[in-house]
Amino acid sequence: MDQVLLISVILVVLFFLLGSGVWVAVSLLGVAVIAMELFTSRPVGDAMATTIWGTASSWTLAALPLFVWMGEILFRTNLSENLFKGLTPWMHRLPGGLLHVNIAGSAIFAAISGSSAATVATVGKMSIPELRKRGYPESMIVGTLAGAGTLGLLIPPSIILIIYGVAVSESIAKLFIAGILPGIMLAILFMGYVGLRSIARRGAEDEAVEPYPWAEKLRGALLLLPVVALILAVMGSIYTGIATATEAAVLGVVGALLLSALQGSLSLETFKTSLLGATRTSCMIAFILAGSSFLSLAMGFTGLPRGLAALIVDMELSPAVLIVVLTLFYIVLGCFLDGISSVVLTMAVIEPMVRQAGFDMIWFGIYLTVVVEMAQITPPVGFNLFVLQGMTGKDMAYIARAALPMFLIMNLAVALLYLFPEIATALPAAM
Amino acid sequence: MFGALDRLLNRLYSACGYLAAGFLIALMLLVLGSILTRLVGIYVGGLTEFSGYAMAAASYFALAYTFRAGGHIRVTMLINRMSPGLRRQVERFCLVVATGLTAYLAYYMSQLTYFSWKFEERSEGADAILVWIPQSAAALGSIVLAVCAAHALVRALAGAPPLEADGDNAAAVE
Repeated sequence: MDQVLLISVILVVLFFLLGSGVWVAVSLLGVAVIAMELFTSRPVGDAMATTIWGTASSWTLAALPLFVWMGEILFRTNLSENLFKGLTPWMHRLPGGLLHVNIAGSAIFAAISGSSAATVATVGKMSIPELRKRGYPESMIVGTLAGAGTLGLLIPPSIILIIYGVAVSESIAKLFIAGILPGIMLAILFMGYVGLRSIARRGAEDEAVEPYPWAEKLRGALLLLPVVALILAVMGSIYTGIATATEAAVLGVVGALLLSALQGSLSLETFKTSLLGATRTSCMIAFILAGSSFLSLAMGFTGLPRGLAALIVDMELSPAVLIVVLTLFYIVLGCFLDGISSVVLTMAVIEPMVRQAGFDMIWFGIYLTVVVEMAQITPPVGFNLFVLQGMTGKDMAYIARAALPMFLIMNLAVALLYLFPEIATALPAAM
Repeated sequence: MFGALDRLLNRLYSACGYLAAGFLIALMLLVLGSILTRLVGIYVGGLTEFSGYAMAAASYFALAYTFRAGGHIRVTMLINRMSPGLRRQVERFCLVVATGLTAYLAYYMSQLTYFSWKFEERSEGADAILVWIPQSAAALGSIVLAVCAAHALVRALAGAPPLEADGDNAAAVE
């Protein structure tokens, strides 16, 4: 059967299943079964079982449920309050005032959580009511939170980076380390925007407050100390090569349990809910990965990815054009799918193409994460938007409008990442 | 008409969910064990493989439990905008697809396990255990998922409320 027909059949079936609301993992299985039945004579079911078993029992993937669990534990501590109290004395005199707490708080929480929805929820829990009380404009509160929440996936540990690493067989540890500088860069860009906006308005929206005394600042720093220590332990052990990503994740879980016990928020109930929450979330991801590993296998048999890669080479697109095209593609895809699904769904086809075009796969993982995250703050499907909708009671359109400046800043970040790839590649190269 | 069977099945899904959570704890302890034994310089073979098996068991046993809690991701953009009547039909279609494919998965995972058992296949790693042992967790988990999907389908066809109303549907964290 010829390629055009093949592509059409696969795409039609895929979009029909996804669109009608069939679970993503089940849709992937279905499309893979159909593609293999049509285009190969191999026994489909046996190939499926072997592939899925191999993916499910892989040691690399074991980092995923552990990091999810760590985030679930910390989500249930009074970290949200501590982040706000600890950062306030340091941030409030900056132009733009406490809006910076949203961004810095997200960046810190992102370094212990692999999910952007969890980051938005944790930071926003405390900062939304506090900032409202102090009269900050609602659109800026919501916008900064939606944007900075995306740091959750970029700053390690990151669920998307684990999934990407497993899909393309790259080192998770290197991907994590590669995410650090771009994450910090993005946080600085967000803060720069908040600061410049405030200066442009001559601080009209900032509150006039006395500077906090140094004792207060130190007390704030002390509140943040345990979290920062946990981050340094987890990231430091990966960077120095003492621990693999999976082992660092266990250190993270143990550290999170200790921290939560020290704060007095660890009870049998919070332990149980965090464990069951982590079980569900990682099961959902593992099921999608199972479906996608089988789909990748099926795609390999059909020869479609190789064909597409050859096509791209024949078109002689410049890397810059390819990146622009891919960015648009993922933003559109992200309007309908969540980040994890967009990555697993496309890697089977995109990976050979990207390798063929000569991109560094570590760099590409970071690029992909930023782009997928941009899609998380675009309507109609965006997890960060959903979370904020639940927390603020504002409608989707309002939140998406408030997040628009952050979306544009992320485009700028992609451009910077393209122009200066060292932002992502320098640290892992030095490992 | 479902009463007793419903309760029994629901207990089965929950039990599998708790079992999965147990394997998550086991995974943590295994990895912790491999760190600690390495620190004191003892080599225990197979810890890496066992961690992988614990991970697989945690994922598979949780399948039905997560399904019932509405934890598996789906695109709801279109069905949310449908009229209640149309939506009911589309939901039934989704469940038919899910039941068919999860049954297919369960059948072949069981077959894989059966052949591993029959030919006494051993792991190629340092653990060298009979692979049907960890594989049976995957087989059982996917069978329970297929049962759960069929259960949900039967309920939907009979016009009963969906399975998810169980109270443990915590906010999904991405």
